[in-house]
Amino acid sequence: MDYFLTQVAGFWFELVSLASDPITYVYLVCSVFLGIVFGALPGLTATLAVTILTGFFGNKFPLEQSLIALIGAYVGAIYGGSYPSILLNIPGTAASAATAMDGNPLAKQGRGGEALGMTTTASFIGTLIGTGFLLVFVWLLLMISKNIASPEKALLALFGILLSGTLMSKDLVLKGWISGLIGLAMAMVGLDPILSETRYTFGWSYLMSGFQVVPVLMGAFAVPQIMDGMRADGSIGQKVDVGRIVPRIGTVMRRFPTIARSGVIGTGIGALPGVGEDVAGWVSYGVGRTVCKDGDKFGTGSVNGLLSAEAANNAAIGGALIPLLVLGIPGSPPAAALLGALKINNVIPGPTIDPQLILHVVAILVMASFTMAIMGLLTARVFIMVLRIPQTIFLPVVMVLTTIGSFSVGGGINDLYLMLAVGFVAFAMNAMHYPIAPLVIGVILGPLFDETFRRSLLISDGDLSTFWTRPGAAILLALNVALVVSQLPIVKRLFTGRKRSPI
Amino acid sequence: MKRSAGLRICAAILALGVGSATAQDYPYRDITTAVVWGAGGGTDTINRMIMAEMEKELPVSINVINQTGGVAGSNGMVYVMNQPDDGYTLVGLSESNVTAAVQGGWDKKFDYWYPFIVGGSPDLISVPKDSPYNTIDDLVAAAKDAPGTIPAAASGAGSIHHLNLLALEKGADVTFKFVPYKGSAPGQEAAMAGEVALVVTSLAEQAPLIAGGELKPLATLTPDAAAVGDIAIPSAFDSIGGLDQYLPLKQAIGFAVHASASDDVKAKLGAAFEKAMAGDTVAEWAKTNYYDIGGQYGDEATELFRKLESNFAWTLFDLGATEVDPSTLGIEKP
Repeated sequence: MDYFLTQVAGFWFELVSLASDPITYVYLVCSVFLGIVFGALPGLTATLAVTILTGFFGNKFPLEQSLIALIGAYVGAIYGGSYPSILLNIPGTAASAATAMDGNPLAKQGRGGEALGMTTTASFIGTLIGTGFLLVFVWLLLMISKNIASPEKALLALFGILLSGTLMSKDLVLKGWISGLIGLAMAMVGLDPILSETRYTFGWSYLMSGFQVVPVLMGAFAVPQIMDGMRADGSIGQKVDVGRIVPRIGTVMRRFPTIARSGVIGTGIGALPGVGEDVAGWVSYGVGRTVCKDGDKFGTGSVNGLLSAEAANNAAIGGALIPLLVLGIPGSPPAAALLGALKINNVIPGPTIDPQLILHVVAILVMASFTMAIMGLLTARVFIMVLRIPQTIFLPVVMVLTTIGSFSVGGGINDLYLMLAVGFVAFAMNAMHYPIAPLVIGVILGPLFDETFRRSLLISDGDLSTFWTRPGAAILLALNVALVVSQLPIVKRLFTGRKRSPI
Repeated sequence: MKRSAGLRICAAILALGVGSATAQDYPYRDITTAVVWGAGGGTDTINRMIMAEMEKELPVSINVINQTGGVAGSNGMVYVMNQPDDGYTLVGLSESNVTAAVQGGWDKKFDYWYPFIVGGSPDLISVPKDSPYNTIDDLVAAAKDAPGTIPAAASGAGSIHHLNLLALEKGADVTFKFVPYKGSAPGQEAAMAGEVALVVTSLAEQAPLIAGGELKPLATLTPDAAAVGDIAIPSAFDSIGGLDQYLPLKQAIGFAVHASASDDVKAKLGAAFEKAMAGDTVAEWAKTNYYDIGGQYGDEATELFRKLESNFAWTLFDLGATEVDPSTLGIEKP
């Protein structure tokens, strides 16, 4: 309890000193805006935004100030990814792929303004929840993340792939799993993580580094979306009812359980080293679908679905900073870029970190989330206007931005061919009602699964019992099994009380 | 008429541009350094630090970017290779890049580069805080009793830390169960979670965890002892006799310019590098981050990298982990 009080007191002190310095606001507004732009442009990621700013600030500015800019951009970019997800059904970053599931149907129903407003609120509260955990429960979460070894990570990755396969299928669950397994197979291409042997590279050096996530993401979501848009009669823009953007207090209060639950899930996922915002959104969305009363309406424009995804990916930021600050192990790719910024300034994060710095980071996160909320609510009215632009004019522009985004990861022209190839495959899969999201999740989580699964067996000398003799692994294994078994027709029939359309 | 006047103006501007370009000395425009490893890693951090210092000695700015991926950082090296050798594109690299050729990432020997070495951090062997082993002798004795069963973490096959582990095995005549990780941080994390019994990474990477009591250091793999705060770390050379045949094998982190660049470019970069390395900022940075300062460049650094290349390439070849036979690339046996 004493610890709690000193942390909170220290936090208020930091917050006041931060808020009373006018330069803070200059940094905050610029960096959050930059972050939102990076997040909103398809293919440009939060990692890229933070990396570029790390290069710009270097050790030329005081660390206190560069941290404001870096964290501001991080928060902004994770939030900004939700704009194209909702408005265009193209996730701006991998983190907001789950946001598109319910965000875009809402926009199509003319509730885009409401969706943007709710997203902003959820991102805001989500960030604050993650930050709260960073402030108060840092040591508890650290204990959890320190005890997660290879078997748990492998099962978690598998759970993520199976879960997205289960959730995304419109008719047969099997189709979602097939899509997820294709993604998993794609992740096998390249140098294998254990022995550094080449796999499925056919002697082509481009394939040795494996398939990069960004071109696959853009190919899977943006290309088919653009093709569909161009095929449809797009001579006039969609009708847009802007309506009320700032949500009513009552609505937020009613949705609060969803937001709070998603925030806690997001923080937990973010705190696991190597698993970040990209996964947090999906897991929370999956949990929401099972727990919420309107779970069967997820995917058709459910506000709860939107909130589940969006609160979680922003909460993951606070979570990802926990192992970074107290172990020196980044919890997500943008956190790795932050690690570089700290090290250039002679700050070595780890168990010996100055506790004052954690409080400073918490204060920045709080300020950044307020900035993000205000800017988001003010600019939503402008952003939503893109829907009024005729698609024949707008979509080619999106295609150019998407291409730039895919090119930005550094694999050269081959990454663009990859994007197009995945795009055509995705288009065909969409036409046959195979969900494409599990494929992308497979590509994102596949390398993690591959590496940790094989390493678990390497350490246990091939003994499979390593996946159920550890308590954490046993729970996760049970979840995986339950997920698959629950889809068997015979088991489904037992649950006649809670009848649902096949998921 | 009007058109030809316009053309003439264009030509004049062009001529002026070209004229001034040849007349001006290197460097007259900004330099870009492409780091082949990711943001937040040792090579990235060192390059951002040294470039900021060298900038003060040069009339232009230096931008640091990351060009990651490929095999042993080959994407970044190929990227810089394809830029003109005019000294405006440098490559930020480390000793681990010497395996790119034998692993099939590109087809150049490392003497393609003219390297500058900023420094490196010595490797050490550590165990989890609650480990039964308290000295390197305990560990070696346990490994002799149960050969090939004690799981040891190091970054992927062919990394500097893996080679240090191999050298320790040869020197002490023991075998561990090598468990590769993608980088040092995940390996250390695994040691803290008790997934492996020991981890070999650099002092710079372990220092905060040692100071925080999360890892227990057993010995350095260099002839010199080290210390983190009050915790003294003895040298493994003191207790294991045959180690000096195989070790030390040290990190060399820095940057490079095309070896084909002009002497003027090399001299200018060399002068700025020397001044930057002599400054207090670098010294203070190295001390806080547990790095040993290098400062070699030119022939001395080329020779150092040649030795590393030969050692790494043939060790990997013996392990059967190469795509290309080192002898076809003209890499001599160590």
